[in-house]
Amino acid sequence: MRVDASKCVGCGRCIPFCPVEARRLGRLPGNGRVTLVIDSDRCVECGVCLRSGICPTDAMYQETLEMPRLIRAILSDPLIEFKATGVPGRGTEEIKTNEITGRIRFGHAGVGIEMGRPGVSTSWEDVQKVTRAMAKLGVSFCEGNPVTHFMADRATGDLQPDVVKERTLSAIIEFDVPLEKLAEVLRVLQEITPKLDTVYTLEVSCKLHPDGSFPVLPIIEQAGYTVLPNSKNNLGMGRPRFREPGEEDAA
Amino acid sequence: MTHSLHRRGTRESLEKDFVVLSCSAKGFNDSVFGEKGKEFLRICLRHNPVNFGDMKTGNFLYIDPEEIIARVSNTTILEVTYDNKQDVVEVIRELKEADLGISVVISGLHDVVEDIVRQAGLKRIHTREFSLGSHGRLELLPEYEILEFTTMCGHAMVASGLVKHMIAQCKLGRRSLRDAAVVMGRCCSCGNFNVNRAQDLLARNLKRWVADWPVY
Repeated sequence: MRVDASKCVGCGRCIPFCPVEARRLGRLPGNGRVTLVIDSDRCVECGVCLRSGICPTDAMYQETLEMPRLIRAILSDPLIEFKATGVPGRGTEEIKTNEITGRIRFGHAGVGIEMGRPGVSTSWEDVQKVTRAMAKLGVSFCEGNPVTHFMADRATGDLQPDVVKERTLSAIIEFDVPLEKLAEVLRVLQEITPKLDTVYTLEVSCKLHPDGSFPVLPIIEQAGYTVLPNSKNNLGMGRPRFREPGEEDAA
Repeated sequence: MTHSLHRRGTRESLEKDFVVLSCSAKGFNDSVFGEKGKEFLRICLRHNPVNFGDMKTGNFLYIDPEEIIARVSNTTILEVTYDNKQDVVEVIRELKEADLGISVVISGLHDVVEDIVRQAGLKRIHTREFSLGSHGRLELLPEYEILEFTTMCGHAMVASGLVKHMIAQCKLGRRSLRDAAVVMGRCCSCGNFNVNRAQDLLARNLKRWVADWPVY
């Protein structure tokens, strides 16, 4: 995001809208007039300032972005469609369509590590620390996910060199693991956490098993995590339904 | 991975906070989702949503609802926010009867969602995503009371600075609680931001806060 200093009146109204606090008021060299200054290293190109319509003089504008900086907008602006998935948003369909796609099956768990959320942002150096640690465990990174897409080597978790220096509002690492491997994933994640210079928010998903249980819960509890009281629930209403042996319809 | 999962708040507050969404399944129904998605929204709109939107278009706090419906495409995510359980029961019941064949997801408190599923006549939940909270440098996060607002937009489009700014404006009498909630809600283009809950949170907490930040 850029500001046209010749139009900016230095009112500062746009400053509170920035999720990563990349804005401040400064003085122009020469005439000393007050104007908005955007820290381009900090700015993640989410576009919320522009969409807010708060600027009284239309002084903000979005310049055309090229890679690797373009990755900031792809991962930070929810209105931008990620071409690999064809769907806006930073992750994949994950559980949202699981009754149709059968992506997460009995005996498996879906894991999402939402780097930089909520609202802190993340460097891709930190993202790579986690992808490398998870790759060592042999996890299967999700197809269609932007982080997976920008990997140079899925076996090592190495990201493409040009994106590692970038920063985004969030970056979601998604993969699927057999239930017997979930405890190890959570343990390794705990070990690597002190090495990160950001926050992440963690989610684990699974199908309701025929015995009426969510078998991830005891594993999560044993790993020392607390499950929040709210969840996201696929009601099984989509078609065509993916059925595993012995599975009954939910809807 | 998920926009509506990690909402923070007390149980009492989260009992008034539900997101019902639908998403096309790539390679399965993404050639026919558009018309079904439009019907999904029309049904949802009959049951008193407090916000709704299309991730590709924006939300109804700044776009005409009919325009949002008209622009639903085959590959998108539709999100509708409610502030009470009974409305969600009625929505799911009507969606079940309509049998659109598209995926429907509810974000909310575990036990309340289970009760909604039962009351709406469904057999059970198919797949659940659990939130294990935030980790790492938690000192970088704003105060919990601010997170209650900002996490209503999982994409973090509602800045913690904006929440504080709105609090200050309300305290100064420059904005009504409703107006402040709508300003925040407009930033969350998907329509996930529960403006009624935001208004309640403002009302509940306004006297507790001291606005010691600059007001532009």
